[in-house]
Amino acid sequence: MTHRLFMLDVPENTPIAAVARDAPGVEVDKLGPYFVIASEDPVTIDRRATGARHAVWYSCVGGLDGCRIAQWDKDALRLERR
Amino acid sequence: MSPLSDQHLVRGVDHAAFPTFDPAGTVRFYRDTLGFPVVHSICAAGWGPDDHPDFIHFFFDIGNDDRIAFFYYFGLPAPQVSKGDVYAQFGDETPEWFVRSRHLAIHVDSEDHLLEYRRRLDASQWPVEMQIQHETIESIYTHDPNGYMVEITRALRPVTPQEDLDANLTIDALVDIAQRPGAGMDELLVRKAELIIERAETWQEHQRALVEDTRSDQVAGPEGPVAR
Repeated sequence: MTHRLFMLDVPENTPIAAVARDAPGVEVDKLGPYFVIASEDPVTIDRRATGARHAVWYSCVGGLDGCRIAQWDKDALRLERR
Repeated sequence: MSPLSDQHLVRGVDHAAFPTFDPAGTVRFYRDTLGFPVVHSICAAGWGPDDHPDFIHFFFDIGNDDRIAFFYYFGLPAPQVSKGDVYAQFGDETPEWFVRSRHLAIHVDSEDHLLEYRRRLDASQWPVEMQIQHETIESIYTHDPNGYMVEITRALRPVTPQEDLDANLTIDALVDIAQRPGAGMDELLVRKAELIIERAETWQEHQRALVEDTRSDQVAGPEGPVAR
C-alpha cells in the first residue's frame, strides 16, 4: 500500500514538499490545496535541506494515510508503513 | 427562523478583565510604558455579598475599540506567587509551557510597530523576554506587573483561504478523536487524512468557482456585460 502524507500548500511548506520531491521513489502530487507526498517505501525528509524553521517544521504534517511517523525531530521526518 | 440566525455577529473583544493587586504598577505598564490610554473607570462601593470590598474597575484601550480591564479590590490581601500570576498560582511541578499557555495577544499591523513596542518595553522594567517567529506570526512576550503574560504579535503574511479549510479539518478531526482513550497526534493525523480525502478536492473546485464568479462580475460590471 502506498504511503501518503498530506501537507497544506502554503508558502512555508513549499520548500519541504520540494525536498520530498527529490527523494528517491517519492511522488508529490496535489489533492485540493494539499501536497500529497506518496511513496511505496519509507520516506525521509531532511529538515536542514528544507531550511524550515522549527515552528514551521513541527507543524507541517497535515494527514497520514497508510503510514506512521517514525521520526520527527530537528534532523528529519521519517515515514514508515503502518 | 430569525434573520440573524446564520450570521456571525460579534465584533471582537469588548473587554477582557483581570484582578490586580498593584494598580500603580499596572498603570505604569499599560499606560505609561505601552501607551495604552485609560478609557473608562468605575469607582464602586462593594455591594451584593456582605464581604464584597469596594473596588476600582479600570480599562485601557488596546486598539480596535477593544479594552483590557482590571479590578482593584481595596483591602484584599495579595497572594504569594512563586509560579503563575495573581489570579492563578501553580506548584513547582507544573511545567512552564502550561503556565504560559494562557495569555493575551495584542495585534499590531507591521514589523515597525512590533519593534516600537519592543523598544518601549526594553526601556522599562518589563523588558521583552522572548521574540519568536512562529509559523505565520512574529511575537514579543513579557509579563505585566501582575504576572500575566502579554504577547504582541504581527502577521508575517496574510492568512490564505486554504488555512481556514485546514483549521476546520483539524478541529473536526480533533472532535472525532478526542474522546478516544489515549488518542494522540497519530490518531488525529490519520482521521484528518480521511477528511482531506473526503473534502479537499470539493473545496478546491468551490474556490475556483468563487474566483471565476468574481472575475466574471469584474468583466460584466454592475450593469451587465460590456459590449465588445
